[in-house]
Amino acid sequence: MQHPVFKNTKSIVLYFGIWILLAGIQFIILIFQYHFPLEIALADSLVFNLLFAAIALPMWFTVRYSSPSSGWRFNILFNHLTSLVLLIVIWIGVAYSILALVFQNETVYNDFLTVSIPMRLISGVLLYVLVGLIYYLLIYNFNLQEKLKMEARLHSLLKETELNMLKSQINPHFLFNSLNSISSLTVTDPEKARDMVIKLSDFLRYSVSSGADSMTSLPEEFENIKRYLEIEKVRFGDKLRYDLRVGENCHNQKIPVMLLQPLYENAIKHGVYESSDQVKIETECMVGTGYTDISIVNDFDPDAVPRVGAGVGLNNIRERLRLTYQRNDLLKTWKEGNRYFVRLRIPE
Amino acid sequence: MKQDSKYHIVIIDDEPPARQIIRDYLKAYSDLEIVGESADGFSGLKAIQELKPDLVFLDIQMPKLTGFELLDLLDDPPLIVFSTAFDQFAIKAFEMNAIDYLLKPYSRDRFGQAVEKALNGLRAGTKEPSAVKSVIDSVDGQPDLLARIAVKIRHKVHVIPVQEIRYLEADGDYVTIHTEKDKFLKEKTMKYFEIHLDPARFIRIHRSTIINVDFMDKLEYYDKESYAILMKDGTRLKASTAGYKLLKEALKL
Repeated sequence: MQHPVFKNTKSIVLYFGIWILLAGIQFIILIFQYHFPLEIALADSLVFNLLFAAIALPMWFTVRYSSPSSGWRFNILFNHLTSLVLLIVIWIGVAYSILALVFQNETVYNDFLTVSIPMRLISGVLLYVLVGLIYYLLIYNFNLQEKLKMEARLHSLLKETELNMLKSQINPHFLFNSLNSISSLTVTDPEKARDMVIKLSDFLRYSVSSGADSMTSLPEEFENIKRYLEIEKVRFGDKLRYDLRVGENCHNQKIPVMLLQPLYENAIKHGVYESSDQVKIETECMVGTGYTDISIVNDFDPDAVPRVGAGVGLNNIRERLRLTYQRNDLLKTWKEGNRYFVRLRIPE
Repeated sequence: MKQDSKYHIVIIDDEPPARQIIRDYLKAYSDLEIVGESADGFSGLKAIQELKPDLVFLDIQMPKLTGFELLDLLDDPPLIVFSTAFDQFAIKAFEMNAIDYLLKPYSRDRFGQAVEKALNGLRAGTKEPSAVKSVIDSVDGQPDLLARIAVKIRHKVHVIPVQEIRYLEADGDYVTIHTEKDKFLKEKTMKYFEIHLDPARFIRIHRSTIINVDFMDKLEYYDKESYAILMKDGTRLKASTAGYKLLKEALKL
């Protein structure tokens, strides 16, 4: 945050305008209360006020770097006391010297200068406190605005992430082909069609009901994977086989919602979509100390030539893992012959 | 008209329920007979070549070969009705040019319209291969870059990943595709490949040559007007002044 007085010409004019106003009040008091001649009253009020205005400018830095949020209260108090004493001494010393020098023949005024020192001291302290408070208020306001801006940005970022996630979760291609299967089954097997509608509805509900940052239990996530695989099984029949071996010991593990789904979508995409042979997707869950390992293995056709660059889904998962657990080493994938391996480690 | 006075149909789709619904809808047409079904691009191509159907219902995303790649390999394609969940393939261009394009899931009425259109074409004896061909071109005209190229040598189909291509050379009406191990002929123009191969990697260095810069070794100065490109395997290719400029830009020289 820059110095609020030097923000623009308007703020400079405003700052010195206020001080000239204060000088005006002092001028009127000196004329009517103390009956000083015009030039003396003008000189006294201008010198004292404008000098204070000038030496109060660096006060900003005392305030700026002694904010209550930056720790140690005693340090702040010390900073302000030093700055106050320095400011008052310079202020009264310089103003006194100038005025005493200019009006050295005016004995009445010289006496007044000396007598008024305690009063000027008090007004100096009061002015210091006032200027300091205004500076603190400005900083507070600025920080508040910044915080609001940051929050708004974070919020929109989160929304965007959520939106992207939803987009990637519900692949329209998957949705329309599933609906086509349902359309087909209504004739040949209405019971199965109804079953498929319910599975698809549950799958969609699970996908849209949760936010980007919410966690779920592993059995619940696998329940949704099962739905997904069952839907794909209706589409592809015996070409797809799957085996979900998730033991009781994995049931307490928490996992970011919809984290696993893209892995199975990949297995289907690169396995079932690209191969004319049977494809099996095997899942195993193992609990270690402090983590749970999930391994997903699928067959694929190594001769199939990739049509589009893969890896978007995997990068998405890595990013989510990084955001959730602050680790980059949780997801590993590799190929062995015609089998594709995924190992996902979830910290407790 | 066929001897048995029925039009022959082949259904190519990798999802059994998707084939099933076409079978169901087709029951209403006594003059249409399903002679074959396939679940992937290779067997679909084989079925069309062997059974010579009059009309094919064709999915786009399938194992081995996509519907587009399959169609591209046919010398004398039958009438094609695409049946797919993809809507990003310039549907509008399709609806203007193809016999029809069915977006899954589709109603009996919508399917009926497609069949009527196809029957009209069959009865009139117009196969409109040009229409189908232009559909392929308009679909290919999308900014999508090729990731692989399907070629047919006698009866064998090869799918070449573009990153394995070293360079392409014009050869009459064909283009010769040179890979690391082999070379293949494809009935396409140089312009087609210039547009559909990744311009960051494939540079047209000459009217009749496109190279893959990954396989390039050296640039040699020939004389004032021409340059030679030395490939990693030792092949020397001529570059025109314009091609040399393009190459320099691509390599940020």
